[in-house]
Amino acid sequence: MTRSTLRLAAELLGPLAVVGLVALVAAHLSTSDQTDAINVLVIATIVIGLYVFIGNSGVISFGQISFAAVGAFAAGIYTTPVTTRQTTMPHLFGILARPVLTNVESILLAAGLGALFALLVGLALMRLSGLAAGIATFAVLEITYNILANWDKIGPGPTTLASVPVTTGVGQATVGCAAAVVIAFVYQRSRSSRLLRASRADALAARGIGVSIVRHRLGAFVLSGAICGLAGALYVHALGSINVTEVYLTLTFSTLAMLVVGGSQSLWGATLGGIVLGILSSFLTNAENGTTVFGLSFTLPNGLNSIIFAVLFVGALMLFPRGLTRNREFLAKWLGERPSRSGAALSGPEGPGGVVPAAAGHDGGPETAARSRATTAAEPKP
Amino acid sequence: MSEGADDGHLLVCQEVTVAYAGLRALSAVSLTLDRAEIIGLIGPNGAGKTTLVNAMSGFAPITHGSIQLGGAEISKLSPERRAHRGLARTFQHGRLFGDLSARENVELGAIAVGCSAREARRRTHALLEEIGLLDLAASPASELSHGDQQRVSVARAVVAEPAVLLLDEPAAGLPAEGLGELASLVEHARSARGAGVVVIDHNVEFVLGLSDRVVVLDHGEVLTEGTPAHVRSHAGVAAAYFGTVGSVGTDGTDGTDEAGTRTVPVP
Repeated sequence: MTRSTLRLAAELLGPLAVVGLVALVAAHLSTSDQTDAINVLVIATIVIGLYVFIGNSGVISFGQISFAAVGAFAAGIYTTPVTTRQTTMPHLFGILARPVLTNVESILLAAGLGALFALLVGLALMRLSGLAAGIATFAVLEITYNILANWDKIGPGPTTLASVPVTTGVGQATVGCAAAVVIAFVYQRSRSSRLLRASRADALAARGIGVSIVRHRLGAFVLSGAICGLAGALYVHALGSINVTEVYLTLTFSTLAMLVVGGSQSLWGATLGGIVLGILSSFLTNAENGTTVFGLSFTLPNGLNSIIFAVLFVGALMLFPRGLTRNREFLAKWLGERPSRSGAALSGPEGPGGVVPAAAGHDGGPETAARSRATTAAEPKP
Repeated sequence: MSEGADDGHLLVCQEVTVAYAGLRALSAVSLTLDRAEIIGLIGPNGAGKTTLVNAMSGFAPITHGSIQLGGAEISKLSPERRAHRGLARTFQHGRLFGDLSARENVELGAIAVGCSAREARRRTHALLEEIGLLDLAASPASELSHGDQQRVSVARAVVAEPAVLLLDEPAAGLPAEGLGELASLVEHARSARGAGVVVIDHNVEFVLGLSDRVVVLDHGEVLTEGTPAHVRSHAGVAAAYFGTVGSVGTDGTDGTDEAGTRTVPVP
């Protein structure tokens, strides 16, 4: 077996082994602790979804939880009994009020809707980078939240969607997370991912050799949307209920923190960050309600979980932007792969004003003109 | 699209004008490039050489005129679409993907224009062997010497087997022995695929030695064009460079020393 084959095997099997380990441990836990383990696996799936876009493109997005939210509500609504829907959500559109899907069908639907939503959003936003991308995707999160929270024709509005069948056990959460790992692995070996990563390193040079940055970003964005949608379905089927506030700011920032702390530019980093910080989050959440460790009972102040995650997020960005894994894949240090040097995902390539440099001429749009006015030096700026 | 146009010209720039905020960087510049022809583009700093290359490659929008590649209008196309049509370029300072190895950098040049991974590997191996960089193929691009980065940058453009190759200061920082390898790489692109090449460099002697034809730009306009011998003897060229009568290239440079002082090599 050659060194590169070993490296490839490690790149896939390392994250899968961690997921399998969590599943193995979870199988021997009490029911309540199993719930925590399932939650860890589902959150890790979301983090892997974030990695597919943010890690490969170097563009920050606060909007991926929107795709998880759409997936969660779609899967939840379509698996809730019709009579319950008529009682708790009497104003639903007909297309949402009647059909009943099986668990697997609802998960596939959630993944498809996540991808579709990401496609629609991405068509408009994928020319943006840096600050502009951050603001625009945050706006997507806000819009999604407000629509879900206020439009009772597509969901329960501000109330909680209850009576969702609890079907996400350890097995299904493990399969879902492992599927996300495999999808992310296959994608990052693809031609599209290689070109997207080149654009992450130098957008201008990438365009110069023929890389259509917007197209490759859109592909990653849609794939990320599908994974997040799938994770949303697992999430709602794990909890048995969902409120729109559960798929909003806290989940957005905690999953981003997991990605950055783990190492945003490697699948190993995303998986490890999701699992390790997911376990930490579960522990802190339980401790806020009172817990016992080694016979010692204690209760942590409410909100400490969020504060610790915020500190970890900022600390990682400032002190170790390449994360715990230094953006390396599993065992890469020993198998000869170099880590990415370009730091955290939040420092990706940007065009002026956070816009991918537009094409010359008519297909460049107004930003081309703005760019041309701004660019007076001989060499084009990235 | 790599075939020549009906009129025989591979690339045609017709009265190309580029203006930034009212300032004309290029004024109605016309230029033709044939298959397997190497054109040197020289001129003093600020003459518009890189702007013309940017206009050809789509990085500088033109405000007037047209650019045709193989008879097809391309001035409205994005840089990446021009690359897919057979127009490759290098940038000043290389602009390699620093995280990637030299081999990966070159491979991406082929993959980006639709080459299969296997074919990209084959071409890359051949090119790196030709320029003597096979030993450094696995090295991160950011750890290569400046000269090696320049050569990898040219190889990344050549590997796409373009119809037109635009080289922006490829010899910058190269030692004398590296110039020969660079020249052979450019010759390879010309002879193997019949590529037309436009080369800009401050090393005027290198440009004159490599080119079939030389176009001299000054203040965004074509001052003169012709054979290297014609340009060497053109009094206006020296005047454009140095502000006085003389000739260029006898010291192998454009006459600007490290301190920016212009010396006048009198014939």
